[in-house]
Amino acid sequence: MNCEEAIGLIGGYLDGELDAITNQEIELHLSDCDKCAQAYESERNLIRAIAGGAPYFKAPAELRQSIQSSLRGGVARSPLESVSEEKYPRVSSRTSERPAMVFTPQWSWLALAAAIIAAAIVAVNFVPRGQGSHGEQFLATQLIASHVRSLMANHLTDVASSDQHTVKPWLDTKLDFAPPVLDLTNDGFPLVGGRLDYIENGPVAALVYQRRKHFINLFIWRAESVMTVADKTISRQGYQLVHWIDGDFNYWAVSDVSDSDLQLFKQAFEKQLPRR
Amino acid sequence: MAAQLKAEYVVGSEDFDSSAKIVNFSVLGGHQQQETAQERELPSFETLMLPHLDAAYNLARWLLRNEDDARDVVQEAYLRAFKSFGGFHGSNGRPWLLTIVRNTAYSLIKKNQSAHVTTTLDEEEYLVDRESVSPATQLEHNEESKLVREAINRLPDEFREILVLRHLEGLSYKEIADVAQLAPGTVMSRLARARAKLKEFLKPRSGKEI
Repeated sequence: MNCEEAIGLIGGYLDGELDAITNQEIELHLSDCDKCAQAYESERNLIRAIAGGAPYFKAPAELRQSIQSSLRGGVARSPLESVSEEKYPRVSSRTSERPAMVFTPQWSWLALAAAIIAAAIVAVNFVPRGQGSHGEQFLATQLIASHVRSLMANHLTDVASSDQHTVKPWLDTKLDFAPPVLDLTNDGFPLVGGRLDYIENGPVAALVYQRRKHFINLFIWRAESVMTVADKTISRQGYQLVHWIDGDFNYWAVSDVSDSDLQLFKQAFEKQLPRR
Repeated sequence: MAAQLKAEYVVGSEDFDSSAKIVNFSVLGGHQQQETAQERELPSFETLMLPHLDAAYNLARWLLRNEDDARDVVQEAYLRAFKSFGGFHGSNGRPWLLTIVRNTAYSLIKKNQSAHVTTTLDEEEYLVDRESVSPATQLEHNEESKLVREAINRLPDEFREILVLRHLEGLSYKEIADVAQLAPGTVMSRLARARAKLKEFLKPRSGKEI
């Protein structure tokens, strides 16, 4: 091996990317040639300086959350609006398509739902939870949008199971609280599954129950403090929402079933809930 | 309603010949199904890809030299990655994800250049100490770290990128070739040129031979 060859291979040698025979040849050359040995030393020091000196930037904690929520939003709005025109190159032969045309109606509705949620999230941010009817209206909008989205996007459940003992451990691993998961089949509300959702800037559990041909989303998250709020019933856009709080959790049931059915559901849930 | 909209699309796209329209039409239908199938893949996507979030952010942050852009690019890249998750069959998610991060970052860089946007470079930044250093050498270490960082930031994109992939992410040449879309044989020589350039930048500033 001559000097020119050796110099060209020093980097690969230091990076451990050469085969055994070439390794031997270069070691032989370095032991013989001061000039190349010096170049090797210099390169080695540089690599140490880069690896030891250049900072490794860790992702900010909230980035993970925001990615997860936008993934859950399905067609969440791209953070880089104009880059996104070339952003969804689904199949290379279709790159010349106008992006808007790629969306089927289902997805454009989804985008609308996502926009509603985004608007609701922004709005809710300015209104403390549980204060005033405004905050509640926005929350209701958010919950309805989430309910509708879960039905439209074929993303009703992350874990599809009628077995509460399958759904509960799955949710427990995804959340930092352990929501109660109850099977209400005997009361006429079979459990369909569970899903993670994102409401009011935090992950929440969404349990999905069925009532004949209709679905009920039961959103559960931790109650912030000991609040004694009377149970609420809201009717909006053809959807019923029932809200109640027990010691630990906020409950919001959302569905297009009748109000009386939803009250039955709530009663059944409360009846089954182990007393503390 | 779906069929109607698609039909409109076919009629509206006069720039395609008829056979292309048919191909597009069928691809569109097939893709829709694929997407709903993907929705169910979200948990496995997150399990495989979220562990590489730091790697994704680190690469984006070095390429864009700006925190806000890096966040946007990483977020966008994850959405893109999820959309093409069906095409991921390997076991090693990191190079696959980094490829998408890189492409997304360059889309933004290109866009900013054509819009004559001058990016602000973040200089103060919370750093992660990769090793605990004794207080006595801390000052010296910070000084050298600053010089190295500034020098890397002055490098052309393709040099900065390859140094980060190799020396911060520890990717193999093969993986680097995949991520940076290089012929495998050219990785070593580009790395050599990148390090030579870096050495050149470091010399006059540090006042000593590194």
